[in-house]
Formats: sequence, structure tokens, C-alpha cells
Amino acid sequence: MAAATSGHDDRKRNVRRTALWLGLVAVAFYLGFIAMGVLRSVH
Amino acid sequence: MAHEHTADDHAHDDHHDHGPAHGWRRWVYATNHKDIGTMYLIFACVMFFVGGLMAMVIRAELFKPGLQLVDPQFFNSMTTMHALIMIFGAVMPAWTGLANWMIPMQVGAPDMALPRLNNFSFWILPFAFTLLLSTLFVPSGAPAGGWTLYPPLSLQGGDSFPMAIFAIHLMGASSILGSINVVVTIMNMRAPGVGLLNMPLFCWSWLITAYLLIATMPVLAGAVTMLLTDHFFGTSFFSASGGGDPVMFQHIFWFFGHPEVYILILPAFGIMSEIIPTFSRKPLFGYDAMVYATAAIAFLSFIVWAHHMFTVGMPLAGQLFFTLSTMMISIPTGVKVFNWTATMWKGSLSFEPPMLFALSFLFLFTIGGFSGLMLAIVPADFQYHDTYFVVAHFHYVLVPGAVFGIMAGVYYWLPKWTGHMYDMKLAKWHFWLSTIFVNVLFFPQHFLGLAGMPRRIPDYNTQFADWNMVSSIGAFGFGLSQLLFAYLIFSSIRGRANASDKVWDDATPHGLEWTLSSPPPYHSFETAPELK
Repeated sequence: MAAATSGHDDRKRNVRRTALWLGLVAVAFYLGFIAMGVLRSVH
Repeated sequence: MAHEHTADDHAHDDHHDHGPAHGWRRWVYATNHKDIGTMYLIFACVMFFVGGLMAMVIRAELFKPGLQLVDPQFFNSMTTMHALIMIFGAVMPAWTGLANWMIPMQVGAPDMALPRLNNFSFWILPFAFTLLLSTLFVPSGAPAGGWTLYPPLSLQGGDSFPMAIFAIHLMGASSILGSINVVVTIMNMRAPGVGLLNMPLFCWSWLITAYLLIATMPVLAGAVTMLLTDHFFGTSFFSASGGGDPVMFQHIFWFFGHPEVYILILPAFGIMSEIIPTFSRKPLFGYDAMVYATAAIAFLSFIVWAHHMFTVGMPLAGQLFFTLSTMMISIPTGVKVFNWTATMWKGSLSFEPPMLFALSFLFLFTIGGFSGLMLAIVPADFQYHDTYFVVAHFHYVLVPGAVFGIMAGVYYWLPKWTGHMYDMKLAKWHFWLSTIFVNVLFFPQHFLGLAGMPRRIPDYNTQFADWNMVSSIGAFGFGLSQLLFAYLIFSSIRGRANASDKVWDDATPHGLEWTLSSPPPYHSFETAPELK
């Protein structure tokens, strides 16, 4: 029973961690391309 | 004797949610993957008809030379809105609907990993498209600069400009959140025994599509954010008068735009890899090769963007690079077409509606692929660019490609979803009418383009009259045929003959979804299934 709960918690943690990483990747692409635009207009 | 509630009873109730809420709450607060999938599919169907009506306006105006029905500004709005609605409102939500319905059932999960996020992803869409469609009623008219939103033209959009930009941001957010959910579900929720290299190819193609979406939708969002600040906050990212570079917008846009094409088509590849083995009664030829080919297509889609911009001008090295990288896409695509053909080779084929649409996809998508190869050749592209040849090319990829893929998937799984088989004869009528009219509609556009007819114009030289008339007749026929599709879906929901759990009993469907009842229970797998 305890093992099942621990497995459930592990999965929950993995779900959150994966979602967070993917969200960060999306934000990085968004801000990164705007930053590239800014850098190009500065030069 | 009255039953006394105990803490254990509550724990029991928590674990066994007995069914859907009733009335509007079921849909507004939906967290069940099937309910959300259904909403996505209904939304896509409505948008398909809205975008289709716009296509009818376009083809009615082009039925003969001269201006007869609409003024040129409204015509340009129709071409722009038709594209935005079909891409972001019809095809992408249809794929997300299919993903919602099928991925948890195929990987043996009880639901998507993030059900509340799933609800939020869907409910963004009606607001985004209400906003986009409401631009038709603002004094300046709807956006008319093309779906590519190239500045400086798109910046002249008047009141509709910020509305369209905000709507695009919302659509992007919805897609990104939906994709995160798909990746998280596939990576974390697979039942024991469902490994990455034995899960259904629909899941694989969607996993790769989701990564593409997460990487490219923010790029589109970044591009339109910069457009917005150029228009309202005095920046000059793309304004030559302020030292900016309008061509930079094109580079950024197509860095999103080309992978977007594969976002629209990769899930169809997955569906083909489900349907063709079932109705060939053979296992898929070259499963691993199919996975690697899909991944290779996705990777290559990031390094070909400038083939959309050959006529803008670029160094010879750039032209060569983008020509060769574009042509390289035909290698993994060829692997796929070869493997589907090899799957059918010496198979015991039968031609139910899903298989008919799959075969039509195979032939007609390949025509779109071949014309794409022609467009990858720089000197040829100089001739074809911005002509109806390009319109014919991408419609062959997207209509008998993506849209037929969706229809094949719906015909394949609809009896599983509703528990009722549809009218097979009527579905075959729908197939034949669609396949004939889609060719009458789009094949003549190759001739028009090669003869020099430019795209995005409401009037044309009389030399183009005959093939335009043929194309318009094809469009009206294709549009009307789709009413049959809507009727068949409606009649399957209302109920005809019951479908068995396996649905295609005399074929060989594989996958965990076929182990569930038809229709499946509200919660698909309350305990993880065992893969045999």
C-alpha cells in the first residue's frame, strides 16, 4: 500500500516536473526570439 | 438500519467518481479526456464549416472573370480568415480532439495527466475565435493581409489588427498547453508494458508533433508581439523607416510556419499507420523506421524555412542549403510511403471507409509532396512563387492530406466512441464524392499557376476562365459533400446498429483502445491494463 502511494507520488512529481520544463522551454523560445529581434535592431 | 458514513466511505467515494456531471456543468467544468476530446472535435467541425463557407465565397467570386459578388478588400479578408480558421480553428483542434480521445486509451492511462489544464486549453479556443470572427464586423474589416501577416501590409489592418494579434496569442497558448499535456501524458502515464517503442504510432506522431508545437508556437507569438509593439509602442523591429527589417519577420514567421505544416500532417501519418495494417490484416512494415522517419521529418522541418522566401533574395549558399535540406525531407517521407505500401503488399485488403480515406491520402498527399519538390528548386520557384501552383500544392497536402487523415481517423474510431456503427454505404458515398471533387477543385489550380495566375486576387485575365470555373464547381461539390460527413457523425451519435467492442471484427485492429467496451466507460482504465 505504502509502495503504491509512493509510486503515485513519484508519478505526480514527474508529471509536474515534465510540465514545468516544457513550459520553460516554450517561454525560452518566446523570449529568446524577441531578444534576438532586439539585438538585431540594436546593431 | 441507517448507514453511518465513515472516513473510509469518503475515501471510497474519492476513488470511484461514478460518472459525468449533468447539464452544462459537464462541459464547462469538464476534466474527462473524452468530454474534452468531444468538445474539441465539435469545435473543429463548426470551424471547418465556417472556414469552408469562406472558401465558397472565394470560389464563387472566382467562378468567372470580373468582380461580381464581393469587393476586393472583403475578398482578401476571406482568403486571410479562411486560412487562419482552417489551420488554427479546424485542423489543429481536430487533431487535439483525436489526441484527447485516443492517447489515454492507447497508452492505458485513466485520463490525460493534467485534466484541469486540459479544460483550460480547450476553453481558450471559443474566446479566441469569437474575437477573430468579430473582426468581420469592425469598420476597417477583418484582417486582409494574408495569414502570413507580413509587415508592413499587416500593420495597415486598422481596428482588426490588435484583435487578430490577441486571438493568435490565445490560439498559441491553447496549443502549447495542449501539447504539454500530450507530452506529459505519454511520458508519464503509460501502463506497464507500454514502452516507447511499442506504443501505437498515433501516439508517437502526436508526441513528436507536441514537441514541434512547444518549440514553434512561442516563435509565432514572439513575432506577432513584435508586430504589436511596432504598431502601438513605437518600436521598429520590422519597420525599415525606423532601422528595422521587414524580411526578419518573414524569417521568424517561417521558422514557425514550416514546422506548422508538419504539425498539421504528422498526426495523419500516425493514423495511416493504424488504419493500413488493420485493413491489410498484417502488422505494420518497419515500425522502428516509421518512428525514426517521423522524428527525422520533424528535425528537418526546422532547417528548411527559407524555401518560402527564395524570391526575397538570399546568397547562393543559402539557396543551395535550403533547396537541399527541403529535398532531404522526401527521404523520410519516402520511407513512410514505402512502408505503408509494403504493409499492404500481399495483405488481405478490404475497403471500409477508413481504409478508403487512407488510400486516397496516400495517393493525393504524395501528389502534394511531389509539387513541393518542384517548389524547392530555386529557379523553378522563381516562376511558381505566389501563383496558383503554390495554392494547389499546399491544398493537396492539407485537404486530402490532413483533412482526409482526420476523416479517416473519425471513421475508424467513431463506432468505438459512440457505440454505434455508421451507415457504411453513405460513408463510401462521402468518400467518393470527396475524392472526386477534391481533385476537380485543386488539380486545375496547377495548370492555372503554371500559366501564371497569381494567388490572392479577386479578378483575373480571361485566359484563366475555364479552369477557374472547373475549380469552383469542384469546390461547391466538395463543400456540399461534407454535409454527408456531418450527417453521418450525427446519426452515429443518435444510434444505429450497435458496434462491437473490437468494432472491426473481421479485420485486425491492434491496441489497448479495442480492449474497452464500445462506447468506452467514462473512466477508461481505472486500473492499469496489462499489455499482452
